[in-house]
Amino acid sequence: MSLQSFASHLYGTPISTAIRETSWIIPAVQSVHIIAIAGVVGAAIVMDLRLAGVLATDETPRAVVKRHLPWMWSSLALLLTSGFVLGLGEPYRVLMNAVFWVKMAMVVTGFTLTLLFRYPILHPDYRIEHARAAALIKPLAWASLAIWVVVVFCGRWIAYYQ
Amino acid sequence: MMPDSAPPNALMQMLYESTIGTTIRESATLFPWIESVHVLMIAAVVGTIAIVDLRLIGVASHLRGARQLILDMLPFTWVAFVLAVISGTLLFLSNATGYFQSMPFRFKLLTILIAGINMAIFHITAYRKIGDWDDQLPTPRAARIAGFSSLTLWLVIVFLGRWIGYSYPLA
Repeated sequence: MSLQSFASHLYGTPISTAIRETSWIIPAVQSVHIIAIAGVVGAAIVMDLRLAGVLATDETPRAVVKRHLPWMWSSLALLLTSGFVLGLGEPYRVLMNAVFWVKMAMVVTGFTLTLLFRYPILHPDYRIEHARAAALIKPLAWASLAIWVVVVFCGRWIAYYQ
Repeated sequence: MMPDSAPPNALMQMLYESTIGTTIRESATLFPWIESVHVLMIAAVVGTIAIVDLRLIGVASHLRGARQLILDMLPFTWVAFVLAVISGTLLFLSNATGYFQSMPFRFKLLTILIAGINMAIFHITAYRKIGDWDDQLPTPRAARIAGFSSLTLWLVIVFLGRWIGYSYPLA
């Protein structure tokens, strides 16, 4: 099944029609989606800038990550759930849009970086200076922050790029 | 009574016709670029304020000394807020007459004002004595109220902002 026929199939389902035709659903879910990305960006600023050595350097990276990683996961879950509802309501708008797929690639990259470079930090024996690929931690922290910025830009551009 | 020498929104008409307003309105790409910056800055403002608000409410997972956390976050919140205001002003200029008539837009500005007053009240009350409750849980009632009001107001601001594009006259 091609993407086009999949989008067309989704578009015809009762749930998709209901989302589109109830006037307040899309703006409300978009608002929730923005609040979710605010949660991601807030947690990313604190964790990434700590790992980059810019913020809260009086605390261990572990303390900072331990405090903010759960909020990152919850915000990402809310981001995906609200995004899923939006995609269900307007499948053509997203599935047939190149910017949407760039955004998805960025989200997967940001998610993977978070998983690989934040999770191990929670281990009590973790010492950042002895970590494997320790030299990569700072540049990857900046890259991770940049990725979430690109995700926000892509999100807005989906509405303008056809 | 003063005679109406000009329509009530003459100022808005002037802003609409301004060079900046016209340039943004007539460009195919300026509006989405500025809007993207606006959304990013709102995400940074709301994200960093939420961290402080949750700490004021006393959410345990945010337990870092309240004073130090506020000092950590405040520069980011302020820089992002100023950039959100600048980008928001540019978006406004591109269609001043339209935004001026929009009720969600008016309520959004009003809610931002209320959030500012809420923050000012916190700074002249509970924050003055932060040394007493810096690492204490539960946080003082005044701090909990300030955190909860701030979080609620900022979530409302996001909703109102999104509603501008879905209601009269900008839908």
